[in-house]
Amino acid sequence: MKKSNLAAGAEQQYFQRFGPQFRIQHGFLFSSTIGLIITGVPLWCLGRPEYGWSQDVVAFFGSIEIIRFVHRVCAAVLVLVSVYHLLYTFLTREGRREFIELLPRVKDVADVTRNSLYFLGLSKQRPRFGRYAYYEKFDYWAVYWGCVIMIGTGLTLWFPGVAAKVMPWLTYELAAEVHADEAVLATLALLVWHFYNVHFNPSHFPGTLLWWHGRISRDEMLHDHPLEYEKLMSGKNETAKPD
Amino acid sequence: MRRILILTGILCLPLLVRPWRAAAAEPEQKMLGDQSDGSRAHPIHLIPLMTEEGEKVSPDDDPLLPFSTSKTCGACHSYSTVTKGWHFNAGVAGLGIEAHGRVGQPWILADARTGIQIPISYRPWPGAFRPEQVGLSRLLFLKIFGRHIPGGGIGEQPGEEPSQIMRSMVSGKLEANCLSCHDADPGHNQAEYAGQVVRENFRWASAATCSFATVTGSARDMPDTYDPMMPEPPDDPKLVAPAIAYRAGAFDSEKRVLLNIERESAANRCYFCHSNMYIDGNDAEKWSSDEDIHLTAGLTCVDCHRNGIDHNIIRGYEGEADVSANRLSATSSCKGCHLPGEPGAEPTAGRLGAPVPEHLGLPPVHFERLTCTACHSGPWPGEKTYLTKTSMAHRLGTVGVNKSAEVLPHVLAPVFAKQDDGKIAPHKLIWPAFWADMKDANVTPIGFDAVRQTVGKVMARHELPASGDWPALSDENIVEALKALAAEQKIQGKAVYISGGSIYSLSDSGRLEKKMDHPAARPYMWPIAHDVRPAAQALGARRCEDCHSPDAPFFFGRVSVDTPVLSRAGASIIMNELIGASRPTYAGVSLFFKWLIIVVMALLILHILGDLFRRFVSKVTANKPAGTRAGKPGDGRKQ
Repeated sequence: MKKSNLAAGAEQQYFQRFGPQFRIQHGFLFSSTIGLIITGVPLWCLGRPEYGWSQDVVAFFGSIEIIRFVHRVCAAVLVLVSVYHLLYTFLTREGRREFIELLPRVKDVADVTRNSLYFLGLSKQRPRFGRYAYYEKFDYWAVYWGCVIMIGTGLTLWFPGVAAKVMPWLTYELAAEVHADEAVLATLALLVWHFYNVHFNPSHFPGTLLWWHGRISRDEMLHDHPLEYEKLMSGKNETAKPD
Repeated sequence: MRRILILTGILCLPLLVRPWRAAAAEPEQKMLGDQSDGSRAHPIHLIPLMTEEGEKVSPDDDPLLPFSTSKTCGACHSYSTVTKGWHFNAGVAGLGIEAHGRVGQPWILADARTGIQIPISYRPWPGAFRPEQVGLSRLLFLKIFGRHIPGGGIGEQPGEEPSQIMRSMVSGKLEANCLSCHDADPGHNQAEYAGQVVRENFRWASAATCSFATVTGSARDMPDTYDPMMPEPPDDPKLVAPAIAYRAGAFDSEKRVLLNIERESAANRCYFCHSNMYIDGNDAEKWSSDEDIHLTAGLTCVDCHRNGIDHNIIRGYEGEADVSANRLSATSSCKGCHLPGEPGAEPTAGRLGAPVPEHLGLPPVHFERLTCTACHSGPWPGEKTYLTKTSMAHRLGTVGVNKSAEVLPHVLAPVFAKQDDGKIAPHKLIWPAFWADMKDANVTPIGFDAVRQTVGKVMARHELPASGDWPALSDENIVEALKALAAEQKIQGKAVYISGGSIYSLSDSGRLEKKMDHPAARPYMWPIAHDVRPAAQALGARRCEDCHSPDAPFFFGRVSVDTPVLSRAGASIIMNELIGASRPTYAGVSLFFKWLIIVVMALLILHILGDLFRRFVSKVTANKPAGTRAGKPGDGRKQ
């Protein structure tokens, strides 16, 4: 996030939670990921008799070469955005700050416990989160882990000859197995967990546009990130100022 | 006058020198049919038939004798040269080990009653026993396997014992049957050859395949003193002495016979000995399965499997040129026809219209680690290996074949395994099963007759399956048979039974012990070359996962462990054990991810359900009267 600005609205105050850098990266990330899922699942199912529908998907694309090409184009986008994110993380002030905010802390473990107790009715107070709640950190690091694995194994499948020389221990079968397994985990996590948190959650249904404009309302801020709100309001964060 | 004599002498000099030069250039005398004159037309073989004594056969002869190929064909072709060729030289002494080339299909001695199937060969192929090692005399070997042996070599060698020599006089030699391959007469009957061999009519076998000759009787029934040149009626009127009758009109006025001989044998001739039937449950029948793509494209077997008068036929495997004297062996393999030659050399790529493969996107490592046949030959691999029948193993094409799928021997295919050159190739496989004498670590098979006598007696109460399959042997059966062998046969070490990759023996306390990993128990494999599938049907043509996936048969198909031992019924090994590839790595990874997905998703879903539950409770609580609410008023807004 470039800056955390407090925006003044007529009825509601808004904070600029994510800057354009973050949102553009997220845009490339989710569009390439959706493309990879749409093309990757039929590629994996192809040739397995129990998934005859995959032939129809291939026919829709035209041929296996085309669907494989689209998959690789999406993969290339994912690789580029991942590399860019690394550079962004280490070479920009905003990136470094966000990265530090996203690092897991002991408080996150405590928050998991407190939130679980809250869900069960054993605690009346919901844990108070900072800039990133533990489940948002989980989202981030799941993507981090997923990208490392998917890109590593995907490149092995894309360039098996090179991979055999550079990483002989990573056999094609091992790469294919990990690629498919991690894809299943990532897809399920995306569709179930991430979609719940940003789309199907009753508070956000049918979806938040945070990813588009990067703004968050004061109410949302107070509910989801009260510690960050207090931090902003106390003026400890030099960059935080009402708009 | 003196000048005239000198001039005459000079003029005659070339005439004196020429024979000497000719003799120097051609140390071996070529016969009429040894060398082509260049014509591609069929030479007509209107020739006299000759007996083994070198006499011309006349329809009026008494006794009427079968013609001899060595004398009839050998009149114009160097018979001794021909019979040094591949199809005849298995038992020829003095050949170097390289002459026998890559491991090939063995003969398989199978007997359901005694639970044996042993690979045997006169060739020194690792894993195969020589016939005499399993107690098969030359005569017995020929009687069992001569049906698919084109004669020559071992068929012409005299026995070592006097009794065998006497029988050789009665049965005659199993000469190279030139007609097996070269008789284009549609009436040629190779199955008749098999029938004659069983009746020990070796002398008559070749002639019996001709459409113009009929052989009756059986040399097997004749006494050792029987002389076919001066036949006397057998004492037993039920027995019939071997005799031949030639069809009336077969001979012309000069006592010649028209033999429809062709140099390039038709595929149908090759098929008698080289047919395969893969019993995969769907397309086993000939009408329902495809032929080799080369035949479909119009080639014949001998377009690639070529030979000259020496009959040193090209087998067609990679590396054959290193050991073969056939100068075309390098250019008649898969690569020889399909891949470009050296730059600047005479163009050889695409011989006979062979397409040069593109192999687009295929990493070069495949060419280093796989044979061409790995992807292009044999049946498409399934989850499990198929039972396979071959002409040589299952008497295909002969009379009275058991057509059951389970009939012994049990040949399995396709099995992907490493060859000697380190490349992975598709193979056929049998699990040796035999009774043996094991001293220290050395295993010596017990003779077939002895096994039949002792083990056969023990197993006699078993009813053999009509399908020709194994009878089920319990541990008690094996114990009983081992004890009987130890008691009745001259066992120097310990009687053992080898089957399904294991060695069974008796412990000191008389209990049955099982050991694995003995070299003698390892499966015998030989590479598959045909049928070749076209590029579009090659492994990997659709997707890398044809081979590179956790359930791909190429690496992880199951190879049945074939054995009659009841306790091992249904056992199998995984193909990667024969390839040398690892499974545990990513089998473990697969398991890890499976549980990771289950655990992670279960936790995430629980979290979501917990959140929803709390929202529901908060909403219900918020709707209650103010005095009964729990918690703070604003808590449920965003929960």
